Amino acid sequence: MTVNSKVSGGRYVALQVVKWILFALLLAVCFLVQTAGSTVKPLLLIPAALCIAAHTGEIPAMAVGVISGLLLDLACGKLLGYNAIWLVVCCVTVSLLHSYLLQEKLVNMILLCAVCTAVQGYLDYVFYYAIWGYEDVSLVYRHVMLPSGIMTMVALLPIYLLVRSIARRCASRRTHELEKTIVRDP
Amino acid sequence: MGNFLKSTKCKIILFILALLTGVMVYALSVGGYTIRTVDIFKTLTAPFQRASSAIAQRVEYTLDVYRDAEKNYEDNRAVRREVARLNKALADYDRTRSRLEELEAFVGIKEADFDLTLSSPCKVVGYVANDPFGSFMIDRGTKDGLSLWDPIVTELGLVGVISEIGEENATVTTILSPDLSIAAYCGTTRDVGILTGSVALAMDGTCKLQYLDKETLLEDGKVIMTSGENGLFPRGYVIGYVRSVQPDDSGMTAYAVIEPAEDLLHLDMVAAITGFTGKEVETP
Repeated sequence: MTVNSKVSGGRYVALQVVKWILFALLLAVCFLVQTAGSTVKPLLLIPAALCIAAHTGEIPAMAVGVISGLLLDLACGKLLGYNAIWLVVCCVTVSLLHSYLLQEKLVNMILLCAVCTAVQGYLDYVFYYAIWGYEDVSLVYRHVMLPSGIMTMVALLPIYLLVRSIARRCASRRTHELEKTIVRDP
Repeated sequence: MGNFLKSTKCKIILFILALLTGVMVYALSVGGYTIRTVDIFKTLTAPFQRASSAIAQRVEYTLDVYRDAEKNYEDNRAVRREVARLNKALADYDRTRSRLEELEAFVGIKEADFDLTLSSPCKVVGYVANDPFGSFMIDRGTKDGLSLWDPIVTELGLVGVISEIGEENATVTTILSPDLSIAAYCGTTRDVGILTGSVALAMDGTCKLQYLDKETLLEDGKVIMTSGENGLFPRGYVIGYVRSVQPDDSGMTAYAVIEPAEDLLHLDMVAAITGFTGKEVETP
């Protein structure tokens, strides 16, 4: 009995390590894609951070928010900490909502990601363009932020499926059993 | 949920948010200088960013070749016509130059040197994501003798200035940005104006030379160069070519749409002008 529980505990730790390595790799790839080329691109770090946050507790979600936010600041050439603050708030909120109120479903994630991306885009527009009084500033919204936001939402689907797959494959047997019980008897 | 607000977790998260606010305020206070930790991180990620940028540029190039085949064909024909015209002009120029040299030798005038100190080549690490003005990062910083507001150039023309710098990295704001104002002139018509970017023109990869006389003689294809008036840029460095001239909204002056001499959105290597005659350090 003792031997079995030790093996199970060791396997659980190993799975958790693998899971977090894969999540870290996902964030790194998202960062590199965001900094590649000069065309308008999706802000992949936002859906990636939110999807990871939905599968973790509040403190790990906060850590994911800090890291993704700082990476987003570097990729977008923004003031260090500017996006990090917003992503910490979003990631912790997503984690709490999934712990207490929401089921882990794509439609929920689409709504949460849309709100997070829209607010991030609006803050960007206001603080980096609108308040400086540039002429024709609405063009930035139409030609850069809106396409980028739409691309971000499109990118949410593969990222969501990937993160869910990683989280499920790396979950312990006990978690699987609990999930099955919840599905059977909600 | 109510329990969470009273928990230690909530206090930790609030502490981290306060810390991030502090980081943001500190980053704001250091002006155009990069925080050392960020500089190290940028250096570590630079090779990966360069690799991903190279792949992205290759993909963009391949797509452009197929997408713009017809346009490229027309451009090619136009360029051939332009080369023929320029060759003719070059012959005139050579004749005029030899005559000028003879006259200079006769009068004893010695022209001041076009004195520039260039940094070693800087590799473009990557573009700032979703920046409509094409800002980009380079792999050299203060350690390599670069300073804040140094002009960034290629052999074709002026690209921009260093707007943020660390020990090993720097960020360049291009001439498409409305944040830059550069005194410029046309060598042939002697029209002078202020070159700056605008949101609408940046979408098209162009900028404008404003405050021109409404009776300006500028026309399509004329070369625009830095005038070196404020000591931030050397005199006579090519910026770009006039694409069109239009009256401004007030009708009192005119502005010219300028096509930069260099393709600012597909840069690979640049250099910084670290010194030149008459250099003064100021914010452009």
